[in-house]
Amino acid sequence: MAGYIVRRLIMALPVLVGVSLITFILLNVVPGDPVLEMMGKHVDPLTLEKVREQLGLNDPLYVQFGRFLFNALRGDLGKSFKTGQPVTKMIMDTFPTTVKLALSSAFVAIIIGITVGIISAVKQYSFFDHAAMITALAGISAPIFWVAVVAQLVFGLQLKWLPISGYSSPKHMILPAVVLGIRFAASIARYTRSAFLEVIRQDYIRTARAKGLAERAVIFGHALKNAMIPVVTIIGMQISGLLTGSLLTETIFAIPGLGRLSIWALSNRDFPLVQGIVLFTAAVFVIGNLIVDISYAFLDPRVRLQ
Amino acid sequence: MKKKVLAFLLVVLMITAVLAGCSGPKNQSTPQEGVGGEKSGGILNDYFESDPNGFDVQESTLIVSYHLARHIYSTLLRYKGDTLELEPELLAKMPEISPDGKTYTFELKKGIKFHDGTTELVADDVKFTIERMLDPKGKGMSKWLFEPILGAKAFMEGKASSLEGFKKIDDYKFQIILEKPYAPFLHNLAVPAASIYSEKLVKAAGDNWSLNPVGTGPFKLKSYVPNTEIVLEKNPYYFEEGLPRLEGIHYRIVPDATTALMEFENGTLDVCLIPVNEYQRIKDSGKYEILEGVALNTYYFIMNLSDPMWSDVRLRKAVAMAMDKEKLVEALYGPRGSVAKSFVTPGIPGAYEQGTGPAYEYNPEEAKKLVKELGNVGKLQAWQWGGERISDANVAIQAMLKDVGLDLEITIMESAAFRQARSEGKIPASYGNWWADIPDPDNYLYTFFARTNQMSSGYKNKEIQDLLEQARYEVDMEKREELYRKIEDTIIQEDVAIVPLFHLKSLLATQKNVKDIILHPTGVNIYTYAYKE
Repeated sequence: MAGYIVRRLIMALPVLVGVSLITFILLNVVPGDPVLEMMGKHVDPLTLEKVREQLGLNDPLYVQFGRFLFNALRGDLGKSFKTGQPVTKMIMDTFPTTVKLALSSAFVAIIIGITVGIISAVKQYSFFDHAAMITALAGISAPIFWVAVVAQLVFGLQLKWLPISGYSSPKHMILPAVVLGIRFAASIARYTRSAFLEVIRQDYIRTARAKGLAERAVIFGHALKNAMIPVVTIIGMQISGLLTGSLLTETIFAIPGLGRLSIWALSNRDFPLVQGIVLFTAAVFVIGNLIVDISYAFLDPRVRLQ
Repeated sequence: MKKKVLAFLLVVLMITAVLAGCSGPKNQSTPQEGVGGEKSGGILNDYFESDPNGFDVQESTLIVSYHLARHIYSTLLRYKGDTLELEPELLAKMPEISPDGKTYTFELKKGIKFHDGTTELVADDVKFTIERMLDPKGKGMSKWLFEPILGAKAFMEGKASSLEGFKKIDDYKFQIILEKPYAPFLHNLAVPAASIYSEKLVKAAGDNWSLNPVGTGPFKLKSYVPNTEIVLEKNPYYFEEGLPRLEGIHYRIVPDATTALMEFENGTLDVCLIPVNEYQRIKDSGKYEILEGVALNTYYFIMNLSDPMWSDVRLRKAVAMAMDKEKLVEALYGPRGSVAKSFVTPGIPGAYEQGTGPAYEYNPEEAKKLVKELGNVGKLQAWQWGGERISDANVAIQAMLKDVGLDLEITIMESAAFRQARSEGKIPASYGNWWADIPDPDNYLYTFFARTNQMSSGYKNKEIQDLLEQARYEVDMEKREELYRKIEDTIIQEDVAIVPLFHLKSLLATQKNVKDIILHPTGVNIYTYAYKE
């Protein structure tokens, strides 16, 4: 297992370098001068040139990229052009918030999604199944900002049960976690239902029923574990996505997460910060996929990690 | 089974109780009455849409940073109440100006303490502040404020180690000598970016200065959580007795305008910028105070005269006469806007009065005639500063031009790309707005139409550009006013380089118990005299 993990991590290196290179090229191709963004509307050409020199932006592009890679390998992602703070610190300051939001919304989503998915599959074509799947479709289709504003209006402004926005207590996380989780729950419910339907038609389930096992034991003891493989893949991918920040939810609920930081970095052409965030995001996806692959081995003994 | 259900309900109940305990009223304090019977007290709950990313106002030109600087630091001069009249802030009296308009003699108030309660403000701090802004190795973003000082250029180029135009007389008295007489200079000193720092404290803080500001202003920084909140508390050493009246200010970062409005209606925010489409509802509810103030801004449509597409003056004249400004401002901003007849905002010394000015009146018939005379001009181009879709203003402009037979295509450019193209003079035309840094015609006309071409106007009229240089350095106010009238009339009427569209008022809704907030025309709201009942 350890050898497998090390091999996968080594294989990830070219991916991370490739992602960094593409980001670097894109940043240098799109219009927008980082120094102009940094220095504001009254800056004179002399100062512009001096600052550009200080930041190393006058060096050839391959030198700039080489410097970034060399430093990144030593764990140094440089300093933000705009704030002067280390990029690693800025990412690490916002990441815990994003993790909290991601995990709490994933928790909401997994509980609701899997439960609804299983019931829908077991009671296929029942009223519950139709209602759940229509709701799931609506959940996937509804724009997140709309769901968020409606939730704020109803639970924050009218009923006054929960805070409208902010991040100062666990209570503040409930609305954003539920809003973000609902959409996520909807897709998990649909995947769980179809995976479950496939599994409960298998011979071994029929055998389990034939030998007189209780329905509960058939579902939770035999069907659930097998049906979970495709669902885990979806959950893994979605959690990786959530961990890279949820811009709309973070903006509407005033949560200081990685999503808002990414957009801020991009609109300010803060090259080191954008590079750092993209590299970090890529690493999160690589690790997320690795964890999903490892979890297969636990769910299905036929899968061997090689 | 029953036991399990009971246990589950118990857990849910406990979690709810814990969460409920996390909320509850905070930031409340009882108002008090001061010695002179003036009320004081309360913590104001305000918000910003974006984080200032630090408190070093020399490194920012954001209005958020200016607002914070106005309350954490002080400037040599400031504006009296909501007027454009200057008064001394750190100074004991207004500076004396030599007859040639080049030498300014200043005297600081004695005994002004920084927030640490021990460091006293002296003339060396003023010199340090100016040199720090101009430092070629520094990140000073508002060098223009001190550029008129003698020797500033050499200092900025690293050719001088000390600023020639600053002469210290003693700890409290000093002189600033300008290279050439520059009439708006005192206004430059009232801009929050010209806040005075302590040499000793800045040097001691080193790289941490931006996050640990220590000023002489009415409030001091208590805590800062990036992208979340900024808490200011009353400065006990503030040099004006009885001020500030608030115990503190609690700013939250709320990026979404709808969320901020909901927080305001929920009572968790004390002030709120009202979105235009919500103005009437909020006003009609009668639950809130609505503050209105003059603001120094002009919304305009500018055409790049160096772009062959816009080079024919008849075309630009047709555009100016095609704009139904009254309809435009009514549709976009309702009661918040007023039609612009001049580019320099009324209220600025030397500007046209409200309702007068050189701008063309709406005259679609005349515009149609000009278009007919021009023949086929093809598709015209204009750019839009950012946004996901074409703005309502640009849609309206497109429609008005279409009415007179002109086809305008709008391209959305992401803001950083727009700014870069503008600095290179490459924007063909655009709808935009200008919020003045200082109340002086120079801040509008020189910025847009001088030879530097920093706003992509492509303007090339030698006579007017010479006059722009002359007016900058003219000390006779009457003569200066005359020069600016001639400049503005030519730019708007003869050259039609810009079409002024409208001006906006500042609008702020507050809870009924919030009193005495000043909406200053420069756009920086002042809380020094505010309190909560």
